[in-house]
Amino acid sequence: MPVFQLNVNGKGYAVDIDGNMPLLWALRDILGLKGTKLGCGVSQCGACTVHLDGVAARSCSVDVGVACLSKITTIEGLSYDGGELHPCQKAWVDLGVPQCGFCQPGQIMTAAALLRANPHPNDEEIDAAMRGNICRCGTYPRIRAAIHKAAGDATS
Amino acid sequence: MSKKFKVSRRAFLQTAGVGAGAVVFGSYLTPALQAQGLISNLINGFPVSGVPVVALKVNGDVVIIAHRPEMGQGIRSSLAAVLADEMEADWKRVTVKQADADAVKYAVIFPSEVPTNYPLPHPYEKIPGTQKPKVQYMVPPEGSQFADSSRSMTAYYTVMRLYGAGIRLAMIRAAAKKWGVDPKECRAEKHRVYGPGSRSIGGRSIDYRWLLLGAGKETPTYEEINAALKKPEEFRYIGNGKEKMPFVDASDMVQGKAVYGADVDVPGMLTAMIERCPVANGILLSYDATPALAVPGVRFVLPVLPSGYPAGGVGQGFIPHAGVAVVATNTWAAWQGRRALKPTIQWNKGPHKDYDSTEFRKELEAATATSDKTKRVRNKGNVDAALGTPVKATYYVPHLAQAPMEPPAAIALFKGGRMEVWAPTQNPDGAQQLAGQVALGLPPCPPNDEACQEKMRAAATLHMTLLGGGFGRKSKPDYIVEAALLAKQIPGVPIRVQWTREDDIKFSYYNAASSQHYEAALGADGRPTALLQRSALTSFFGTLFPNFDTPGLSAAQVAGAAVVRAETFGGGEYPYASGIERAQGLEDMPFDIPNIRIENCQARNHIRVGWMRSVANIYHAFGICSFADEMAHAARRDSKDYLLELIGAGRILPLSAEEVALYRNNELPVEIIKVPFSGGKITQVLPGFPPDTRRLRGVAEAVAKVSGWDEKVKQYKNMKGRGLGIAVHRSFLSYVGIVADVSLNDRNEVTINDIFGVIDCGLAVNRDRVMAQMEGGIVYGLSYALLGEITVKTGAVVQNNFDDYPILRIHQTPKIHTYIQDPPADVVKEYEGNVPPTGVGEPPTPAVAPAVANAIFAAGGPRIREIPFKKFVTVL
Ligand code: FES
Ligand code: FES
Repeated sequence: MPVFQLNVNGKGYAVDIDGNMPLLWALRDILGLKGTKLGCGVSQCGACTVHLDGVAARSCSVDVGVACLSKITTIEGLSYDGGELHPCQKAWVDLGVPQCGFCQPGQIMTAAALLRANPHPNDEEIDAAMRGNICRCGTYPRIRAAIHKAAGDATS
Repeated sequence: MSKKFKVSRRAFLQTAGVGAGAVVFGSYLTPALQAQGLISNLINGFPVSGVPVVALKVNGDVVIIAHRPEMGQGIRSSLAAVLADEMEADWKRVTVKQADADAVKYAVIFPSEVPTNYPLPHPYEKIPGTQKPKVQYMVPPEGSQFADSSRSMTAYYTVMRLYGAGIRLAMIRAAAKKWGVDPKECRAEKHRVYGPGSRSIGGRSIDYRWLLLGAGKETPTYEEINAALKKPEEFRYIGNGKEKMPFVDASDMVQGKAVYGADVDVPGMLTAMIERCPVANGILLSYDATPALAVPGVRFVLPVLPSGYPAGGVGQGFIPHAGVAVVATNTWAAWQGRRALKPTIQWNKGPHKDYDSTEFRKELEAATATSDKTKRVRNKGNVDAALGTPVKATYYVPHLAQAPMEPPAAIALFKGGRMEVWAPTQNPDGAQQLAGQVALGLPPCPPNDEACQEKMRAAATLHMTLLGGGFGRKSKPDYIVEAALLAKQIPGVPIRVQWTREDDIKFSYYNAASSQHYEAALGADGRPTALLQRSALTSFFGTLFPNFDTPGLSAAQVAGAAVVRAETFGGGEYPYASGIERAQGLEDMPFDIPNIRIENCQARNHIRVGWMRSVANIYHAFGICSFADEMAHAARRDSKDYLLELIGAGRILPLSAEEVALYRNNELPVEIIKVPFSGGKITQVLPGFPPDTRRLRGVAEAVAKVSGWDEKVKQYKNMKGRGLGIAVHRSFLSYVGIVADVSLNDRNEVTINDIFGVIDCGLAVNRDRVMAQMEGGIVYGLSYALLGEITVKTGAVVQNNFDDYPILRIHQTPKIHTYIQDPPADVVKEYEGNVPPTGVGEPPTPAVAPAVANAIFAAGGPRIREIPFKKFVTVL
């Protein structure tokens, strides 16, 4: 099998695996980064969301052979240099967004990518960006509020 | 000292010896003994058993054991905060540690003084061939860690308070002795005791850590601790406390550090994926391992069930479906191996291979169309004489899947004859016993055989991870049994069973499909004079207990199981509902009507049935609250005014006077009981939770008010396509009122604008998490009401994933307004000022669907009598 060079959270890894392995399993099983979750495996729920070159992507549906071409950021690498929490993470804690918490790494990765592209989204823009992320616990009202808070905006 | 205290104490000392989960006393030898002495003293003084939930460290820090599973309800924070609050702990010095499964240790034992007529949750003495337990449990082992029925707080609130107050009292006394002052002049605040005089004018104070030795010698009595309990206005964290409630897991969760089932890494672990028989009770005939073994990384291809094991399905409880496992070095290899394996498997699909949910619906509706073969479960007056030409309606709710965000996963390691398990489970004790049973290779224990259960528990250790949602799915440990069965075949190697979403949707324990039929006679004033109600639902106990739809059983086995089931679950016998399901909105129909007859119809079992958030309340609340609205329209009355009239002034439902045989009140007593303790020196109010329509009326009035019902109804009358709907429901001992505000446009597209929700859950211990559960429970209710449906063809579930079993998404979520409502003043008085906390996880859900259906009708839409609503209106 070919060796793939993966750049994850600023670190380089050489992995000797099947190039068709979805990035999700390479992250979880090979690199031991368990913050990225399996929710559906078919791009339906967003639990596996990571950033490829700063853009939100579903790691369950991106092969390692493709992912190796981009800089990969996972929830473990979202906070600036591993220190201070990302504004989304802070807002999520402040507003008590998580219930079971399982979907939240994916929610936060999608929200962080949204704020990078659109620093002050309104409710419609939030809904449009976040509709690919399911939360079975139903934390959507607080997710909306937390994104506004992370953006430094009052809740609309 | 009574015998049971000795038992408790021994259990505690054992705990301390092995480190109490993670509290390592051993490393702080002398102070450890001091702290242990204090806790032991407390245990010995209590009228409830020593539940080892707290330990103090040498530096005065406190470790609180979270013995219940955490699945998003926030219980790890809430119960710990109850103890910390009473103890006056500084939250910065509190650590919460998750316990392993250890159900006997955390059970709560009644004091000997409890009257023998106290209604016990489980009528052991009635079960033939089983022994009456030696102790009377207030929370029995089977419930001590089982996170179901929204009971964690109700069951442990008092225990946690007593420990906290006991520690605080001992600390105060130790400080007072040190200073030579009267303890009454001292008070505790955030890990310090303050002496007489104020801080600013030279008053003394001392940290708890310097008081451990003295406190360890204190022996506050139960009476003293009871008297020292805080008043609600003194709470620091819980209730309306002045400081923010802690949320122990939030920070880990947002950083991806929280550990769920699949996140545990055990060195040398292999991952298994299982191809299962799509039909309940189907049997594996043959398979070819070759193509799967050809996939790089695949190590083993194995049948899950050993020969001679029955295949899971109807009547087989938590035994997994027949299946073949592909065990590999990583998940992706197992996934691909399973794909290669699938076409090679031959199944004998067994007696349920023709099950079709569309045909079954007709069977259910035929059953509710007549009183033939029904069981009368409640009766008052003479319905037949009063019915005349009734208003009628029939409602239908399909099978639903819980679909927790985290698909089931479990890890098992078989070594040295024992099983070690890591898993997300709502049912740690059940899972531990089953894992032990697999380790020992023994048949299941007879019900309530405590010695057998102990043997099973001793053969397995179960570590609880966080649950990525449960909703009832993870109270069924079939996936843990799968891991154990595979681990047994590959000794010494940890095996992780990983489910996909497809596995989860196709192999759930589905909420029962149900038909509800109502007939009512309306009097001249429009109010009903008689109500006939029939409910058909497949009982979970049809899946749990062997019955005549379980293949491969003798008539004697079926008959034996029937006796146990009937006696244990309130007269439930196949194919009727259990007492538990009947008590969820059927027998306790709340409306004040002169003639009432409620019947339960037959419903057979052809697929695994289990419970989903709020369970039988889902269809019972949808039926009765929709029908209330239909009656209101028939009577040309405002829906809310009519609903209040149906509820009446408020009363405690006189169920036993209306022929309800044994009302299973969420397995808790109906009556408030006052018990004299300590030779009559004090009176303990033991909580009872009567179905009380004063509280139902309270939330109905409150939700009408906060939603602005009266003004909006006037306003919407002149608007096309806008409507309000209301519904109320009591479940899991709490009361919830919901108002939905919807729009319906010319293209029949529905928008839910707002949902207003009010809950009366007694004392709201963790107000923020109560609100969160309200928000989440409302979204859950909207999700199944608008979109939820599982169908079955040729015995197999049709749906696969979130594309064909959709879950509500953010853009479909309305503005949600939630409120916590205090119980009415006269109720508070009856509880002597302390209304105990009741459920919040499930109660928000049931009233949502009928409120929305009623609102859609009010907006000029169709009268929707079945779920999902997307069949009748377009959900964008
Ligand atoms: S797991 Fe990738 S989108 Fe659901
Ligand atoms: S917090 Fe549980 S799924 Fe979102």
